[in-house]
Amino acid sequence: MSKYFRNIFETISTMMTGMGITWKHMMNIRKDNVTLQYPEERWPRPERDIGFDFSEYNIIRSRLQVDIDDCIGCMKCERACPVQCIKIVTTKSGAKGEDLPDINHTGITSSGTKKALIVSRFDIDMTECCYCNLCTYPCPEECIFMTGGPNSHKHPIDYEFSQYDRNDLIYKFAKDVEEEKLSKYLPQKEKAEV
Amino acid sequence: MGVVHGDLMTLNIGPQHPSTHGVLRLKVKTDGEIISEVEPIIGYLHRCFEKHCENVTYDQVIPYTDRCDYIAAMNNNFGYAVAVEELMEIKVPERVEYIRVIVAELNRIASHLLALGAFGLDVGAFTPFLYMFRDRERILDLFEVLCGARLLYNYIWVGGISHDFPPNFDSKIIEFLDYFEPKIDEYNNLLTFNKIFIERTADIGVLPPEIAISYGVSGPNLRGSGVTWDLRRDDPYSIYDKFDFNIVIGEGEMGTVGDCWDRYFVRMIEMKESVKIIRQALKTLPSGDVHQALPKKIRPPKGSIYKRTESPRGDLAYYIVSDGSPIPYRLKMRSPAFTSLSVLEEISSGWMMSDVLAILGSLDIVLGEIDR
Repeated sequence: MSKYFRNIFETISTMMTGMGITWKHMMNIRKDNVTLQYPEERWPRPERDIGFDFSEYNIIRSRLQVDIDDCIGCMKCERACPVQCIKIVTTKSGAKGEDLPDINHTGITSSGTKKALIVSRFDIDMTECCYCNLCTYPCPEECIFMTGGPNSHKHPIDYEFSQYDRNDLIYKFAKDVEEEKLSKYLPQKEKAEV
Repeated sequence: MGVVHGDLMTLNIGPQHPSTHGVLRLKVKTDGEIISEVEPIIGYLHRCFEKHCENVTYDQVIPYTDRCDYIAAMNNNFGYAVAVEELMEIKVPERVEYIRVIVAELNRIASHLLALGAFGLDVGAFTPFLYMFRDRERILDLFEVLCGARLLYNYIWVGGISHDFPPNFDSKIIEFLDYFEPKIDEYNNLLTFNKIFIERTADIGVLPPEIAISYGVSGPNLRGSGVTWDLRRDDPYSIYDKFDFNIVIGEGEMGTVGDCWDRYFVRMIEMKESVKIIRQALKTLPSGDVHQALPKKIRPPKGSIYKRTESPRGDLAYYIVSDGSPIPYRLKMRSPAFTSLSVLEEISSGWMMSDVLAILGSLDIVLGEIDR
């Protein structure tokens, strides 16, 4: 019989202890509030002053962005990708390091490397991307990166990029050039195939 | 009066059920409300992890290990990195070892918080879940500052880590630990010593140590049964032998040794031990270059390795066979949650329907790791 009442007493007293905690929390609701009204207010993104130094590399995991003028078409990022969501097609440009204005090709990258290849296709399928950031490390020209953080002066942070159509998530970074203009620069053999 | 035997009723729990912690299907045979048989049916989240690893290079495997145990991805990265390093005989800098231990223990706290909160949710306590997620969120925020990702980090690499700590990160961790330690008492008052919770969990689903060992159960589930077995102490990897911490075991405070409450409480106290390890590691954190031992090309010599590490769920082991190429010839992952789930049938027959979900919750399974 005494056990019966002790059980009741313990239940009520331990429940009250728990209720006390929630009560205390309720009293400090303004101070302790952790919920954020998302579309109106946003969490601050982690900040870190980072240049393109390997030791302090880009740490934002967001949309991939490519500065196509800097891309030399080395395909290192394509090889590093574990899910093969980057597709690159390059052709040899006849003149190394020369601008080809008819296809909007820049000959020299911003760090001074002379480009030997024309990047005719650079697609990133963000539906497949696993945000592992492995593609950004091997890039010798530092032209592929995840947006935001240190690159926010280049591209504003862009983590809300949902689309209605899945195909809109395939980002095409290569210059939009007409086929005939580009085919002039393709090697003879490939031209026959086209 | 004779006993009337009716037919057993077959009941399916899942695959889409909030209490099965993922896409798990339980085929339950019930006699009235008493369970006579439970058959877990797995494979709904199978993603060919092991076969896929035979097609990608060693460093590309790491994002996939993230996705196995997605609650504690740092520990999965850690185990894989340690295994490949031993195969390649890489000696990583001391700072890397310390940072790895710190992030792994932080992730252990985050994982246990989720396990405990979800367990409370399974037995009908909703409030503690919110409290624990509030604090887990802080750890995820720390990781976001550290490596940009909140859940799938790809942070611990073979031969090092992807980034060093950002400036003032140590003080941020200390700040979190100072905030977090008193919260454990809050959880205890809120849930652990609540009489209703004790009634639901104590003496339920007792897992005797012999059965636990014979099934290969490890981690907090094994320690809950009173077996002192922790790879961090018994088979130390990395630099765990440098730290002073206790191995928490279940003592049957509220009922029998190895019941649901013990498994729950072991996790609760283990968080305190993790805090202890992090504090010690931060005190003696050496300086140095974290990228110095990163190999240019990961190409282990011919041979194989079986390396176990202590993940929040138990012995997480990688068996890697290398044929000297940059792609693993075979990669097998020993999943601790898989063995924990296999013991469910043994310990849950004879209990009530609602107890089965409590037992399943106390085992703390992650389906991503079971199905791989």
